[in-house]
Amino acid sequence: MDSDSINTTPSPSANNCKDFSRKKRRSAKLKQCKLDARREQWLSQSAVKNKGCCKEGTNGGDLKQRAQGQTDCLLENLEISRRGEANRGRETGLVKHESDSESLPSNSPMNSILLEGTGSGTSFTNSSSSSSSTSSGGCCSGSITEEEGDDGCLDDWEAVADALAADDDKREMERNNNNRENPFLGSTPEHEQNPQLGLKGEGSDLRNAKLECPRMVQRVTGSSRAWRADDAFRPQSLPNLSKQRSFPNTDRHFGQRGVPWMRSSPFTVPSSCPICYEDLDFTDSSFFPCLCGFRLCLFCHKRILEEDGRCPGCRKQYEQDPVEAEASIQEGSLTFRLARSSSMFARS
Amino acid sequence: MIGGGRPSSSSAAVTAAGGTWVSTTSVSASGKRIQREMSELNADPPLHCSAGPKGDNLYHWVATIIGPPGTPYQGGIFFLDITFPSDYPFKPPKVVFKTRIYHCNVDAAGNLSLDILKDSWSPALTVSKVLTAIRAIFTNPDPYNPLISGIARLYLTEKAKHDEIAAEWTLRFAK
Repeated sequence: MDSDSINTTPSPSANNCKDFSRKKRRSAKLKQCKLDARREQWLSQSAVKNKGCCKEGTNGGDLKQRAQGQTDCLLENLEISRRGEANRGRETGLVKHESDSESLPSNSPMNSILLEGTGSGTSFTNSSSSSSSTSSGGCCSGSITEEEGDDGCLDDWEAVADALAADDDKREMERNNNNRENPFLGSTPEHEQNPQLGLKGEGSDLRNAKLECPRMVQRVTGSSRAWRADDAFRPQSLPNLSKQRSFPNTDRHFGQRGVPWMRSSPFTVPSSCPICYEDLDFTDSSFFPCLCGFRLCLFCHKRILEEDGRCPGCRKQYEQDPVEAEASIQEGSLTFRLARSSSMFARS
Repeated sequence: MIGGGRPSSSSAAVTAAGGTWVSTTSVSASGKRIQREMSELNADPPLHCSAGPKGDNLYHWVATIIGPPGTPYQGGIFFLDITFPSDYPFKPPKVVFKTRIYHCNVDAAGNLSLDILKDSWSPALTVSKVLTAIRAIFTNPDPYNPLISGIARLYLTEKAKHDEIAAEWTLRFAK
């Protein structure tokens, strides 16, 4: 999830866009020789690819219609989106929180083919789109249904914001689909030309499609998106979502439970006390009783102070003597306030 | 404070993760912890070790350690009883050998001298780590803190003879 939190940094969208295009230009330059080789390969296969693309186009349309039909059954949607995610994880080796939404550029199969041909997208998209076409179809359905799933329950403002973003995405996808209806088979020469010209390709179809994808990526990962309940950067002041379970990845840090204190950096909080295995509440998770970084809940801490008073992690005596034990717990609730800003990042 | 004063909300999830075993006792703080350790032991047991509740009493386990290769205990199967105190994990579990073993740190009754089961116990330790530590004294006995000083002396002076007797005992009692 670390990479995810980097992606979702709420920076101004203009910056984001500029950065992205600069990076893209650089990477396009760097990959020039790679591209040449790939172009030759592509040319040799172009006939086959074009045929496949037509097929995929209709396929994508089907998926989209199906997704629109499913606005009501939220559960089923989540299931599908999970399956999509799993699919994707298997293909790319990355199970990322935002990976579904980042696959939006490859939503329209034409885009993914174009990216494969020109190689101008990020390597991430490339790798997924150059994998089998069926798998990219799978992720596509996953991401759409996830957005639509949010659409189905408009009971709080975050869901509304999500739904609006989803609507915009949908519109853009429709525009992409319209693009796709243009005769694509004749544009092979432009393809060939494009990588040599860098990003100043003149084919209108191509340029549209290519400009579309950075915008969409930026939209999804950028600031226009509402906070997810499990977002690392979600401000603590936002109200808790009662329907957190409707988000697909609430269970993502179950894996941390087994490892007690090895991850003691302030950004990873064990989700349960390693002594009693009760979940750490907010006070507990901003409680740092020992310099060694071993964390535990306040109940177990008090219990240990009543007896031998040594830290379970390093076996050194806790610093307070038993008289000050009460004070230390009060101090715990004091640090509760002070640690608020830092624990905002730590908590998820 | 045994009850912990906390709702044990996720006990159902723990039993689900544990698999076959279904809780019959009330889930106190120690019970929850032991249950959790059990499911983690089942999922990822330490090398050559296994452990689990003896019957339907969560606080009474039986464990087995297979004698590590390269030691005179090689190939033997050693049974141990583990009894958890009600204030586990703040107090260490009691571990007793049920299989006779020729070892300077294990007496005739099966009690063993292991620092982490006494003064060096930490609530962060688990049954899995205890078993790993016991397996470690199979390969490296600690003759300087012996329970049976004769065996320790033999180990220090005539290791070959010590190993011979230990292998003989293993063959006689642990197979």
